[in-house]
Amino acid sequence: MITKKTKICIVDYGFGNIASIENALGYLKFDYSSQKIPKDLDNFSHIILPGVGSFEAGMGKLNELGWETNIKNFVKKGGYLFGICLGMQLLFKHGTDEKTDQIIEGLGFFEGKCKKFFQNKKTNKLPLPHVGFNEVIHKNTKIWNGIKNSSYFYFIHSYRIYFSENSYDCARTIYGEEFISFIEKSKVFGSQFHPEKSHLTGLNLIQNFCNLQ
Amino acid sequence: MSLLKRIIFCLHYKEGYFYLSRNFRLQKVGDVDWLIRNFGFGKATNYVDEIIIILVKKQPSDSDFGNFFKDILKLRKNLFIPITLGGGIRNYEISERFFKNGADKILINTLAFKDKEIIEKIASAYGSQAICIMIDHKKINNEIKLYSYCGTKLEKITIEEHLKNLNALSCGEIILNSIDNDGNAAGIDLSILDKVRGSINKPILVMGGAGKPEHLSSA
Repeated sequence: MITKKTKICIVDYGFGNIASIENALGYLKFDYSSQKIPKDLDNFSHIILPGVGSFEAGMGKLNELGWETNIKNFVKKGGYLFGICLGMQLLFKHGTDEKTDQIIEGLGFFEGKCKKFFQNKKTNKLPLPHVGFNEVIHKNTKIWNGIKNSSYFYFIHSYRIYFSENSYDCARTIYGEEFISFIEKSKVFGSQFHPEKSHLTGLNLIQNFCNLQ
Repeated sequence: MSLLKRIIFCLHYKEGYFYLSRNFRLQKVGDVDWLIRNFGFGKATNYVDEIIIILVKKQPSDSDFGNFFKDILKLRKNLFIPITLGGGIRNYEISERFFKNGADKILINTLAFKDKEIIEKIASAYGSQAICIMIDHKKINNEIKLYSYCGTKLEKITIEEHLKNLNALSCGEIILNSIDNDGNAAGIDLSILDKVRGSINKPILVMGGAGKPEHLSSA
């Protein structure tokens, strides 16, 4: 197999703090470029899909800018993909609209549906958003190399993918209920937390992702 | 196993210099280069969970914002924790500039008393989690009074009412900032939490008075 030189593309579709991810990749001395519209993706080995905000708006923008098909093709051709926060949620099959609760189609790399925390409002009264450093119980796969199990990462979100038995290598976190805080399958990865905002532990995870080949 | 308590470091900024605040009077720390050199930014920040930087100026001009963002850009280069920026956010366009210049979250104080529509507009573009509301409060005759405009304007609304309004507003976190305890290192006023807990179902942060590790562990 010919190994491609590591070059990372950051999807700059107007959602999320792109500069933080650029800073992290710069600090780790990786070659990267942020792109508003997909161009020459064959030159890249990895894509990072950041994002904060609503599932519907994020997905709409990915469609509009032509990222949806391009990201899917990129993964088909063997590229590595990492979604962060909303970027991870978009990797799933379905999301829900904030106001109408209508189902919205995602990128569909993983089975599952992104919904607001605490669907059963009677039993849970924890404040939302879930914000701060929380524990991530992971499966010690390759991307977690050098990161202790139950390390803490920075979260800020009100929507989550409920944790249930599945065929993926998931990490889970508890905030009133168990949800998926990290997911991976083959070359597609997603974290509900922000590794770029989680001190050196977070940088370690980003480094491990970029070193995959 | 649970969500950790957060320690947030708060700095103020005015005309090229960073300051610590003591009872709302500013004490100069240094400029951005001094801060990076002597405060060990990038190292010191390994021991705090988040950072807040507030531009202190009553009517910030375009160049006030420009200088602020220029120094923030320098500071945040090696900062891998959430950054909340605030000060002088009076309309949507200014909030946009804050986000474009690297704010993960913005801090809103005065606007929360005045114009909820602008806050809703910001939330619909950047998400409610990106908006922190800071409430400056002070005890007068044992009654909690609220202030806007950097602690200069007394607001008529009670803290309970204000929080009730905020609970319905698209914002992510509430920071209760005690003017009495600000920077005195004499301990955090936690009694206020009992007063507010019932009124709001959003994360609440308490600010002002932390001086010793015990002050933090008692929170």
